[in-house]
Amino acid sequence: MSQVSQTNLLRRMVFTAALAVTVVATAGCGGMEMDADYPGGGGGDGIYGAYGDYPSDAYVATTEPVYYGGYASYWYGGRWNYQNGGRWNHYDREPAGLYQRRMQGLSRRRTYESSHGRPGGHSTGRGGGRGGGHR
Amino acid sequence: MTSMAYRMGIVAAVLFGAGATVGCGGASAKVPPPATADRASPDDDDATAGLMEHHRHHHHGGVTLFIAMSLDTLGVSPEQQGAVEKIRSDLHAQMEPARAAEQNLVTTLADGLAAGNIDVAKVDAAIAQLTAAAAALHDKSADALNRLHSVLTPPQRAALVDKVAAHWAVWRKANAEETTPNTPDVGRLATLATDLGLTADQVDRIRAALVDGMKAVPRLDPREIGTHLGAFGDAFRNEQFDAMTLTTASGANAHLVGWGGAHMAHFIEAVSPVLTADQRASFAQRLRDHASHDPSAQANP
Repeated sequence: MSQVSQTNLLRRMVFTAALAVTVVATAGCGGMEMDADYPGGGGGDGIYGAYGDYPSDAYVATTEPVYYGGYASYWYGGRWNYQNGGRWNHYDREPAGLYQRRMQGLSRRRTYESSHGRPGGHSTGRGGGRGGGHR
Repeated sequence: MTSMAYRMGIVAAVLFGAGATVGCGGASAKVPPPATADRASPDDDDATAGLMEHHRHHHHGGVTLFIAMSLDTLGVSPEQQGAVEKIRSDLHAQMEPARAAEQNLVTTLADGLAAGNIDVAKVDAAIAQLTAAAAALHDKSADALNRLHSVLTPPQRAALVDKVAAHWAVWRKANAEETTPNTPDVGRLATLATDLGLTADQVDRIRAALVDGMKAVPRLDPREIGTHLGAFGDAFRNEQFDAMTLTTASGANAHLVGWGGAHMAHFIEAVSPVLTADQRASFAQRLRDHASHDPSAQANP
């Protein structure tokens, strides 16, 4: 094999490796865009909004938020919501960091009384995370 | 020239890869969210119902209790956990005199309800004792609040302020006056009707009694509580915080706790004559259960 051929082969290998890194890095962050699967992105299936667009007071009072971008975010109604200056906002597109936390199912809710009129300690459930359907 | 083109291609590919990796922080998720497991309304789910029930029966700490409860789901790091749990425990210890006073009030009401003869003078004395304990609470808890501020990050401080406001909103809903037929089905009377199997006639008679009975209860002034919550929120979000500068705290706690105790007492006094003996016994037992437990004081799992 000539020196020129060897050089060309080496260049092709490096170029192929660079492209492979690109593909893996892009897919690895879970970031290919499919907004229809994140209702906040505008392609929603309508699961938010039926009870109001943003978390209820009781939901905020009993649910552990996820801190992202300097705000406490609550998964509610199929999207991430956060308060800024007393007003609610939401992410139109799900940030990768919040997506990863949601997949880990880390959103915790606290129940103070066991049921209507029947005090009985407390329980801690997991809500809002993987199920993500409080609305 | 060919070599230069290849190098540019490689650099472009690598830069694209790096850019895509960094930029994906704001991109939407590739995998669809899991199927919704719980489609209940937030007004119907267990956590909401449990919180309403708690705020209906446990007033003793006032805003301090709201703060302590907000720590339950604030979301702190493992490094913060020990310090925050110690502060939470300290706050509950400082609320203990008020909790004991509330326990005395509820037990007095339960005894009178079961006997069909509520001792109003004894109840009024218990309310006064509870109110005094609540008024003294803020000064005792100021050091714990200052330590809490120093432990939390700015986003956590803001989240705590939002949670305290949320507790206040739920408390108001749970203790709304129910003197009209258009009261919500999650209110105190509706809950009691379900739990005791009240007839429609009983509900109507209780509602009529509430109209008269509640006239004796001084009106709740939500502005006083709101003013204090606003002052607390502004101060707690700041980089510097001193709880002792919150001059509205003691008055707000006394007002909220005193009104909560009086409202609960008058509700029970209005209900008692309408219930059967069995219903009174059942309701009294439920009150004793509430008096003997304090779920918000239990440590977080």
